Amino acid sequence: MTRERRIHVDWTRCDGHGLCAVLFPEVIGSDEWGFPVIDGRPMSPDEIIHARRAVASCPALALRLEARSVRQPARSR
Amino acid sequence: MTAAATIPNPIGSPPEPATWSIGPPRLLAVGYGPRRPYDRSAPRLLSRDQLTRDVATVGLLGRGGAAFPVAAKLRAMPRRRVATVVVNGSESEPASYKDRILMRHAPHLVLDGALVVAHALRARRVLIAVNDEPAAAALHQAIGHRSDARSVRIAGTGGRFVGGEARAVLRALGGGPALAPGRRVLPSDRGYRGTPTFLSNVETFAQIGLLATLGPRAYAGTGITDEPGTTLLTVTGAVGRPGVVEVPHGTPLSVLLCEVGAAPGAAVLLGGYHGAWWTGDPAVPLSRPILQAAGATLGAGVVCVLGPETCPLAELAHVAGYLASESAGQCGPCMFGLPTVAHDLQRLLGGHRSAASDLRRRLAVVPGRGACAHPDGTARFVTSGLRAFAADIEQHQMAGGCGRPFRGQLTVSPTWQEVAR
Repeated sequence: MTRERRIHVDWTRCDGHGLCAVLFPEVIGSDEWGFPVIDGRPMSPDEIIHARRAVASCPALALRLEARSVRQPARSR
Repeated sequence: MTAAATIPNPIGSPPEPATWSIGPPRLLAVGYGPRRPYDRSAPRLLSRDQLTRDVATVGLLGRGGAAFPVAAKLRAMPRRRVATVVVNGSESEPASYKDRILMRHAPHLVLDGALVVAHALRARRVLIAVNDEPAAAALHQAIGHRSDARSVRIAGTGGRFVGGEARAVLRALGGGPALAPGRRVLPSDRGYRGTPTFLSNVETFAQIGLLATLGPRAYAGTGITDEPGTTLLTVTGAVGRPGVVEVPHGTPLSVLLCEVGAAPGAAVLLGGYHGAWWTGDPAVPLSRPILQAAGATLGAGVVCVLGPETCPLAELAHVAGYLASESAGQCGPCMFGLPTVAHDLQRLLGGHRSAASDLRRRLAVVPGRGACAHPDGTARFVTSGLRAFAADIEQHQMAGGCGRPFRGQLTVSPTWQEVAR
């Protein structure tokens, strides 16, 4: 299990302002309502700088840069 | 092959689905009912390591839908701190009834499992989250009949679909809204009121109760090597005999369908409204690992059957509309995405040419974009439906319909009788 940086969206906070997609279009796209669509591929060190900028500029504080293991824990019901 | 030991209803009301088993009943065996003093030998209490070993030996998987290995969940619990054990009996999956059946008819077995886990983890309290009056009554009655269940409390939970998710239940138990939190928190870390919590589904605990009583060797006396033991399935839709059935793992799907009286050529939805339509081998063994390898799921053990006399696209659209309405509205992609998917399905029904491609494009970005797995499950249900009913879609595109009426065989409703009708 390797650890890598990923952008995590708190969907309960995100209001679809769309700043992140404007600032970091290489990894963050947007859907037809303006909510972000994150490309899940690993980011290069250069890209992580852009990711930080996108995270910091979110007006809803919905983004976080997470270091997490690649194997996702399963959700249980 | 069938032992049809129908269990009398101890509560009297409300009416509930028929209950029987293929092969000898285990979970549904008599003797775990709420009324009599608990006359079995108390559950064999195990150490944490022993329980983890036994659970790993029989490869027990969680029965709430995610099929997460119970041994892994036990290992993830912190070593020292006191944990809360939560039995998730909210059963919010609309077509499922098996957890209510267990709590109403075998409350002692559910308590056994919860107490075994609580002992192994040295947990101070056990909470059972229930959204069903008769189940709560049966559990209370059972607790009154035994002396080892003083740490057990019954708590009511809300009734909506998304409120049954593990973290939503934990939040509701702590006094918050029954909604999944937006940030990733693991119950083993911060669960009930921020304490390390072991949470699983009612049937998981009943299975642990059985395992503690039988031991791994006897427990594995039925089922298959891939998944020993039995499972409870709720079977609904176009079948002669809907109900809750206990089956040994590995029972071929075709045997179950024959047993419940499904029409030949019926379409089968495995895993309920968050599940997928099964189009593979009709005799596939009913087992989580085998189905998982084939890209399918048993979910919470729901099997819905669709007869050839109803329009499958209308049924799909109807359930998709329901799922859209069940969005809690807290995550944008779900709140806006699901109604659009449901609307696209209505267009598909009317034979719109672009509807199928619109749907595929939209469904591609639905999964993984919510606090809970409601959008993921809905996308799985619809996407697999598009694949399973490709011929019907073509017919609708050619002729604007298929000539079959909508019969509501997958219809969502609050009471079992209406589901089963």
